[in-house]
Amino acid sequence: MAAPGSAAHPSRGPVRHSLTRHLLLWSLGALVLVWCSFVFVGYRAGVNEADELTDGHLASVVALLINLRAFEAVDQAVTTQRPAMPWLKAHDYQQSISVVQWNAAGHVLAHSGSAPLPAFNEAEGFADLSLGPQAVAWRSFSHWDVSRTRKVMVLLELRERDELAQDIADQMVEPGLWLLPVVALALGLALHRGLRPLYALSADVAALDPAIAQRLASRHAWSEFESVVASINTLLERQQAALVRERRLANEVAHELRTPLSSIALQASALGGGLDPNAQAQALARIQQDALRAGHVLNQLLALARASRAELHEATAPVDLAATARAVCVDYAQAAWQRGGEIAVVAPEALPMAGHGVLLDLAVRNLVENALRHTPHGTRISVQIGQSDTGAVWLQVCDDGGRVQAAAGNASMARPADSLQLGHEIVLRVAQMHNGTFGVAAAPAPFTTCYRLDFPPPSAVAAG
Amino acid sequence: MRILVVEDDAGIANGLRTNLQQRGYAVDVCDGIASAWGALRAERFDAVLLDLGLADGEGGELLLRLRASPPATGAPALPDPATPVLIVTARDLVSQRIAGLDQGADDYLVKPFDVDELDARLRALLRRAAGRASPTIRYRDIEVDPAARTVLQAGKPVDMSPREFSVLLVLLQARGRVLSRQQIEERLYSWQSAIESNAVEVHIHHLRRKLGSGCIQTMRGVGYFMPQEAL
Repeated sequence: MAAPGSAAHPSRGPVRHSLTRHLLLWSLGALVLVWCSFVFVGYRAGVNEADELTDGHLASVVALLINLRAFEAVDQAVTTQRPAMPWLKAHDYQQSISVVQWNAAGHVLAHSGSAPLPAFNEAEGFADLSLGPQAVAWRSFSHWDVSRTRKVMVLLELRERDELAQDIADQMVEPGLWLLPVVALALGLALHRGLRPLYALSADVAALDPAIAQRLASRHAWSEFESVVASINTLLERQQAALVRERRLANEVAHELRTPLSSIALQASALGGGLDPNAQAQALARIQQDALRAGHVLNQLLALARASRAELHEATAPVDLAATARAVCVDYAQAAWQRGGEIAVVAPEALPMAGHGVLLDLAVRNLVENALRHTPHGTRISVQIGQSDTGAVWLQVCDDGGRVQAAAGNASMARPADSLQLGHEIVLRVAQMHNGTFGVAAAPAPFTTCYRLDFPPPSAVAAG
Repeated sequence: MRILVVEDDAGIANGLRTNLQQRGYAVDVCDGIASAWGALRAERFDAVLLDLGLADGEGGELLLRLRASPPATGAPALPDPATPVLIVTARDLVSQRIAGLDQGADDYLVKPFDVDELDARLRALLRRAAGRASPTIRYRDIEVDPAARTVLQAGKPVDMSPREFSVLLVLLQARGRVLSRQQIEERLYSWQSAIESNAVEVHIHHLRRKLGSGCIQTMRGVGYFMPQEAL
């Protein structure tokens, strides 16, 4: 019985075994084992019962005859033949039952039945005898009367006893033999029916599309599935969140790249259409500016790709975040001065933490660069670093310039080369790689905007 | 033809303005929703090129607001909700295109684009807005091709300046309706263009000389028109 979905992907990888078949084989194996034990025990019980029945029969006959003076009623020379009853089984009424009576001296007083005359002895009780020239096996029971003047022996051919035992055992075993396939079939159907929730879960999982917001339905309300369904739904949520983030990033990148490229294409087309020298110079300057802008976006993309791969290849190492921040700010001091602003670092002498040095440098660089690009001239930028009592390290970049978009329309302000999102996406990924968080923070006076990175304390990282 | 470009990137806005002007369009540029809405309420534009990601909001908001405006019943009713809108954006997902078109855009173009393609789409928009299927406009024995910017009369080419061509196009597209001098000027000049006091009269005079005095009629004290041909 094949399980639905067991051959769902026949061409993929190694052969998949069916759980239903596996369960069925094990159940049938266990059933056959129990069944065989039952048959064996039944057979043994049949044989024992036949033995006991036969012995009881012999003892009963002896008890009946022990006080009968059979030789006084019938001459010992007369042999009474029983009429044939062919419709009876060989063992029915145990036709071979024979009786012998001796006196104390061992003379035969009476002998009836088909058993050859056994040799006289003093012993009494049950015995297995071989009689006649063919040494036929007989079961006997002999007993003396109270005065020990007469001994009665009753005999029965063992073949008849064994046939009776076989018949009893057969009667017990036979229903078991024809019931076994029926039980196996019923077991298979029950297993198939019982595993239906598993098939449904398997089909639902196979039908899941991570690209669209989907969850496993609540119809899988079996306690055994609870953790599996919860885990799959958690994975789906993560996958969908990652997809949304990737889609947003792709959108952002597309916008950041397409805008300067469109501008370049338009300026080139305008140049081809003939422009006066002044307009021509403006168009060329614009092309140069847009080419640099596209280059900046490409650099950001490369940084992002690097940040995404670093997790797999690089181990964390002690990094002095304060020294990293100072080094970055030194690099941007000239740019800040040219914009009529200033850049400062507020940090302890040294602030070691475990992390990826290159990525932390990249994150700080992006935050400072964003603050320079998206604020008006004359803006003050402050890189602040600290550590909480628990050992958690934080870094924030604050400025007092407001955002360019908020002040749109101010002609003296240059447009930023890119939007904030791409740079912030890079910082976010660096934060995530350090198990940290990134976001907007409340700006301390006199600053107006703050972006903050929070790293967990070393104990939390070790525990996590 | 007067086009409103709503674009917050100065490079693209300038590039669009220059290229479209080189192709004979009058172009005005707005860098945000607020200024564009003001322009649409103040002037009549033949088409709008609309970026989606603007400094002060989503271009789609402007589109929805324009389409929700009451339909123009009289000549001065503005903004005109039927103004053709071509979305020009970097957003290229199918879902974004669908959303843009469902918001009421007539066409959708993803950056970067070829200027010739943009021009062709603009012409198609203007043609559809004028209720024409043919890319050329026929009037009596005159055949005007807006794409090639050529005029044939009785099969022979007629030489004319870009401005004369634009005046002819404006009158042809409004044929049967009288246009005042101011209305013609509005369709020909952007805000930044200097308008000579009698420029329209001069262009009409030249057109009559080249195409024949009967093709453009004057309604004294009102304006000019090209009579609708009897069916």
